[in-house]
Amino acid sequence: MARVVFENVGKKYGKMWALREFSARFEPGETVSVIGPNGSGKTTMIKCLLGLVHSTTGTIMVNGETVGPDPSYRHHVGHMPQISRFPNELKIGQLIDLMDDIRGKDQGRAEGPLVRDLGVDAMMDKRLGTLSGGQRQKVSAVLAFRYAPSVLVLDEPTAGLDPLSSEILLKAVRDIKRTGCTVLITSHLMEEVEALADRVAYLQDGTLRFLLPPEELLSATGERRLSKAIPAMLINHTRSHVESL
Amino acid sequence: MWKVYKYTLIDLARNKFVGGWMLLLLAISLGLFQLEDQPVKAMLSLSQVLLALVPLVSSVFSIVYIYDVMEFTELLAVQPLRRSKILGGQMLALGTALVLGVLLGAGIPLMLFLPNSASLTLLLACVMLTLVFVAIGSLIAIKNREKARGVGLGLVVWFLFVLVYDAVLLWIMFAFSDYPIEPWIVPLAALDPIDLGRIMVLLKVDLAAMMGYSGAVYEKFFGNLRGILIALAALTAWVALPSSFAFRAFQRKDL
Repeated sequence: MARVVFENVGKKYGKMWALREFSARFEPGETVSVIGPNGSGKTTMIKCLLGLVHSTTGTIMVNGETVGPDPSYRHHVGHMPQISRFPNELKIGQLIDLMDDIRGKDQGRAEGPLVRDLGVDAMMDKRLGTLSGGQRQKVSAVLAFRYAPSVLVLDEPTAGLDPLSSEILLKAVRDIKRTGCTVLITSHLMEEVEALADRVAYLQDGTLRFLLPPEELLSATGERRLSKAIPAMLINHTRSHVESL
Repeated sequence: MWKVYKYTLIDLARNKFVGGWMLLLLAISLGLFQLEDQPVKAMLSLSQVLLALVPLVSSVFSIVYIYDVMEFTELLAVQPLRRSKILGGQMLALGTALVLGVLLGAGIPLMLFLPNSASLTLLLACVMLTLVFVAIGSLIAIKNREKARGVGLGLVVWFLFVLVYDAVLLWIMFAFSDYPIEPWIVPLAALDPIDLGRIMVLLKVDLAAMMGYSGAVYEKFFGNLRGILIALAALTAWVALPSSFAFRAFQRKDL
């Protein structure tokens, strides 16, 4: 059974469709890079999956459960947003306690993936309002990985992180993937896409243009790098041809 | 819901604005009781200030706070939590923090200088108005994406209730003074929560001249205690209705 299924999902804001007839299946243990220009519908697609945005058309299933008002499917979902802001006056430790409380998982604050690797254990008493952008990303990453998700959604995870932390995070993605977790990751960095992705989903103007393994993209375009192959793919192939692949 | 409530309250407890609000109320209350020789007069002046200031601060602070924690609300909304529990926890925490501000800031001086049922009624009216305007503020913040627009709307609503509506009521009273419109004033005054608070207080204070038209009508129609209970019931409806609209809007909102 596919881990995540999108069926004809569309989202309309006012008169504009931010996402149109998006259909895709994501399997256990695969990492899918979602790429596309700004405003192409990546974030809308992710927000529909997370239940933050209500889709106008279609349905989404996660582990066989429909995404809707019942929040129980989110027990298995981890999310690291592009920008995180937390209540200024709470301490990192308190935020982690709150999340543990909500998830009903009683583990030590300093336990769990990434806490020590990213140095978050040393910052437990720091107020969230005093954190830099990169430190907030680290806290976000810790929360996303903390509850053994079977679906992990990462929105530009390494933006704002130092190179060492980025590397630690990407290693954690590779590790969790081995446990059968489905990872959806948006990124503008082609090196990241090449390093992680089993398949690449390209969105443009709210429409899925293709969803293919990187090797197929490279061989179809005769390019050696994804950063070249993707524009070539868009220029050289008509949409119908892409769909027939 | 109690988890969200607890941690929102911890955040609010350290919020400088909430502390500042309490200190401001304390300064105003103590100042007025020091200035006036008669505690009743001080209490009446204080009631005028509180009935205007409590709704303003409650609604604007709720609006600003809900905008400020929106990203955190998103983080909560991707957890296995129902949205109604998230908003319920946040609104309840806002209500608790602001009510505590009123009780400590204005309640302590009132109980020290004028410990009677009129002071208690004033406090009760302020508590109810705090809850009403937390509900109205939350509804405004959820319905509008832009913070500046939300705050502006909050100010407009406050201005309507604190001044404009009363003026309109007065105008109606004069314009239709030849007709038996008194029964109409009861439901019309109930459409303004600040008026309801004012009526509650003035029904308890033995100064008919201060009661105002709608207050006099309430007393005439219901007598003291019944008038207060009816005003209280109407204020409860003023908490419940905007809250239920806020919950419905939050359920449908795209975050």
